[in-house]
Amino acid sequence: MANTVTWARVKSPWVLHFNSGACNGCDIEIVALLTPKYDVERFGVKLEPSPRHADVLLTTGCVTQQCAERLKRIYDQMPQPKFVVAIGACACSGGVFAGNYNVVGGVDKVIPVTAYIPGCPPRPEAILDGVVKLLNALSPPKPKKQPKQVKQPELPKEEAKPEVAKPEVVAPQEAKLTVEEAKPDAKQ
Amino acid sequence: MIDFTLIFRILIFPGFTFILLLTLFCDWLERKIEARIQNRVGPMVAGPAGILQPLADFIKLLTKEDIEPRDAKKTIFRFAPLVAFTIMVFATCFLPIDGASVLSASGFNGDLIVILALVTIANFLLFLSGWASSNPYGAIGSARVLTQFLGYDIPLSLLALTPAFIAGSLSIAVIASSQIIPFIILAPWAFVLFIITMQAELEKDPFDIPHADSEVVGGLETEYTGGKLAFLHLTRDVQIVFGAALVVELFLGGPYGPVFFGFPVFWYSLWFVLKLLAIVIITEYISCVFARLRIDQVLSVNWRVILPAAILSLMLTVALVTWIYPMVV
Amino acid sequence: MPNSNIDIINVIESKLKDKVQIQLGQLGKAAIVTNDGLHRDVLKAMVEADEKTAVSAITGLDLGANLGVLYHIRTSNAFLTIRAEVPKDNPKIQTITDIIPGAIFHELEVADLLGVVFEGHPSPGHFVLSEYWPQGVYPLRKDVKANEIKLNPPPPEEAKQPEDEKVVKIIIGPQHPALLEPEKFAVTVDGETVTKVEPRIGYVHRGIEKATESRTYLQDVYLVERICGICNSIHACSFVETVEKILKTDVPPRAKYLRVIALELNRLHSHLLTLGHAGLEIGYETLFQYFWRDREPIMDLIELTSGNRVYSSLMTVGGVRRDLKDSDIPKIKATLADLRKKLPFYRQVYENEPSLKMRMKNVGVLKREDALKLGVVGPVARGSGVDIDVRKDEPYEVYGEIPFKEIVYTTGDTWARMNVRMDEVEESINIIEYAIDHLPTGLFRVKAPRVVPAGEAVNRVEAPRGELFYYVKSNGTAFPDRVKVRTPTFANIPAFLKTAIGENIADIPPNFVSLDPCFSCTDR
Repeated sequence: MANTVTWARVKSPWVLHFNSGACNGCDIEIVALLTPKYDVERFGVKLEPSPRHADVLLTTGCVTQQCAERLKRIYDQMPQPKFVVAIGACACSGGVFAGNYNVVGGVDKVIPVTAYIPGCPPRPEAILDGVVKLLNALSPPKPKKQPKQVKQPELPKEEAKPEVAKPEVVAPQEAKLTVEEAKPDAKQ
Repeated sequence: MIDFTLIFRILIFPGFTFILLLTLFCDWLERKIEARIQNRVGPMVAGPAGILQPLADFIKLLTKEDIEPRDAKKTIFRFAPLVAFTIMVFATCFLPIDGASVLSASGFNGDLIVILALVTIANFLLFLSGWASSNPYGAIGSARVLTQFLGYDIPLSLLALTPAFIAGSLSIAVIASSQIIPFIILAPWAFVLFIITMQAELEKDPFDIPHADSEVVGGLETEYTGGKLAFLHLTRDVQIVFGAALVVELFLGGPYGPVFFGFPVFWYSLWFVLKLLAIVIITEYISCVFARLRIDQVLSVNWRVILPAAILSLMLTVALVTWIYPMVV
Repeated sequence: MPNSNIDIINVIESKLKDKVQIQLGQLGKAAIVTNDGLHRDVLKAMVEADEKTAVSAITGLDLGANLGVLYHIRTSNAFLTIRAEVPKDNPKIQTITDIIPGAIFHELEVADLLGVVFEGHPSPGHFVLSEYWPQGVYPLRKDVKANEIKLNPPPPEEAKQPEDEKVVKIIIGPQHPALLEPEKFAVTVDGETVTKVEPRIGYVHRGIEKATESRTYLQDVYLVERICGICNSIHACSFVETVEKILKTDVPPRAKYLRVIALELNRLHSHLLTLGHAGLEIGYETLFQYFWRDREPIMDLIELTSGNRVYSSLMTVGGVRRDLKDSDIPKIKATLADLRKKLPFYRQVYENEPSLKMRMKNVGVLKREDALKLGVVGPVARGSGVDIDVRKDEPYEVYGEIPFKEIVYTTGDTWARMNVRMDEVEESINIIEYAIDHLPTGLFRVKAPRVVPAGEAVNRVEAPRGELFYYVKSNGTAFPDRVKVRTPTFANIPAFLKTAIGENIADIPPNFVSLDPCFSCTDR
């Protein structure tokens, strides 16, 4: 029964996307996941409008001060079991904007994060890879299959091999690099 | 005496379990059609070709934490989704699926009216569930549901009377079985109008304004989580199956079709399912190729176009049946 | 196209002869130094003479003992700056919102970040900073260090205000499926009709302008690029152009052509993004999927020319960082030819699809007079019959040499604005193909000094959303003294507040997307 429940949770992760002060780069890559080239619906992922319906919260953006409180509230509204994925360098640690006034810096300063996907912005394949890895981490690991013990047939005895003369090994001459040969990189 | 056959028919086939499995299958079919029209693939991972995706969604929702807002009206909030689902399944049980309906072998005269009333009650319960969640988006979403289905119920009833008039009876079983020439050929205008009105009743594009997530967030479902959300979704899916089944019964000859060998029950169920899937494909196709209309546009289409057309269609059918068809057929 | 013959400097000279000082050639066509409220008279004279007068930006400067307020004004054929100064201990200056209504948000921002008090402003209050920002701390002043500002903890849950029964206020945002970014709009509705929209922005304010002052010019290129992920190349290009104006560096012609190719690719992907997003807002998911499917080959081209899908980071002071390989050109031409073949299908959808026309025609109408008064820019202005396009009015890079059409529609509704963008997609394809065919040989970069001599410069470019304005002030070190950015959405938000009134609440999402909002640009 528990296996069925885990199977259902892994096969049907519904996501909510929240931008907590991002430059839009990561957000357009997340929306690109829904488009034909990447098609995240294959994995059962649906983009949900309401926090109450979602399992996974995809956050982007270095958290600005005004958004920090909203982020916490949205996280609290989601029902258990829930996971948070921080997408982009800004969500992981503040990124380029770390240290600015008005920036809290990193989603994990406000809510607990389950997975970090770095990049500026991470490619849609990287985001997909991160989400799939998160889902696989949720399923219990499958026990490794022990190979069956098969009775080995008897091999014919090896015949003695004739002696083969070993060739002489000659050390190759080391190529000497002179200073004039080294060409400088063509830099503009 | 316990009638095991009746219990089997109610619970397994063609009753509850069959309807549930058909609903989940139609949900998968709709998602696949929408994906293919949009140049995508759709669910692929849950089961072969993603066919277990709706089941996974349902089980996952059942196991989520159930959150109740503090200001919600508790009893309605808790029970409305489940009761709406039950009423929809009950309404579907009146339709002859394998040559006879679940509850009685021949239905009774007037069960068409009863099931239309049951659908209205189920929609009303959906409105109540949104209203009971004390969320502004829920209130707006459920108000839109109410406005839309109350408006479109009238032309729906008028158009449902058209096949009743041709068949000369208000019993669905009689309407279905008297279609030697399917009514879609005898009254094609009623069929087209019925599909459009059904599209609005089922709240699908271009009439899916109550579920417009860019305006009302989750609509009436906004505050629901867990098992109640699962039943709200199921209710909507059963409504779609019911709507398609009604079209099949009224216009396409129900489960009746050629029987080649073996048991007629098997062939009747097969024809029913095939016709149902054809209607589901048509409605899903319509919903993918149109944008979403505003609520005032939806209402003006209803009162200015659909209702007069439904009245005209009924008048035309009455004229044809009374004077033309007896000479031709 | 600048076809007006008004010589605005003559007008100012004749009306205010000895009261103001006119410095030709500085900060645009001329810088006009005023004192004691004369900036209002100068503006009045300009507005009376030229209907296209609008405020591009208002820059606030910390000049030590005084605070400088620079009004950057654009007219039909000139771009001027009016300089005013107020003492720090009494920073009061009169507002100009009665003369030019579009200046309402510009003044609020300078008040927020620098502490200038604009007397007579209709709705003072916090704009980009939050309500619980410490009082009296103005981030852009030199004596305030970014890492020493103590942020107050967020307040406890807002107490429920007593609501008037008849007035229903719907809050859209900060988390809302229609919005990609957080911002809040309090929409007052009467039934289903909108009566007022109050915006609250600042959720994406990351303090970038202050951060530019503590990074070198080269580091700043990467920082200002990340103001917005969608129009990133144009931000970087505008910044390096401004610095090059101070340095008086001549960029080689090949670099200019490569810059134009990168900028137009950026415009292509941005317009396709908006066209698709508009489909999503009107419930037309199929159109959204088709547009974004056709956008992916453009992202592949951006990756081909620069190495990264979104942040191309091609611009640098003195040219571009990477050359365009001749072996890549056939792929670019083939992809653009494919996109050109798909455009007739989309045009047909916009012309013939009844449900789309019902949702977009006559929705969010912005009349030409309002567009001029509020000073809107970009496709929003061009959809309302105002023909402003920086590429034509003040050509930068090599836009003066490349032939292309300026797209103007007159109906001013959502449908017109989306059509402007669709036609601009075709024009961008033409520009890129022309640029590739006429690509000169030579250097693609010259080395520029790292330490910039003291000076200041302004620069305007045409971002996908409209006119983007940059002002850079240098002080002889390797770090800039002040960088001011005015993004196009900042100028266009007042237009949304106007067009939403009287419309159905269900029309707010398509209306909003048609103005192509980018709040990360607005808040910086």
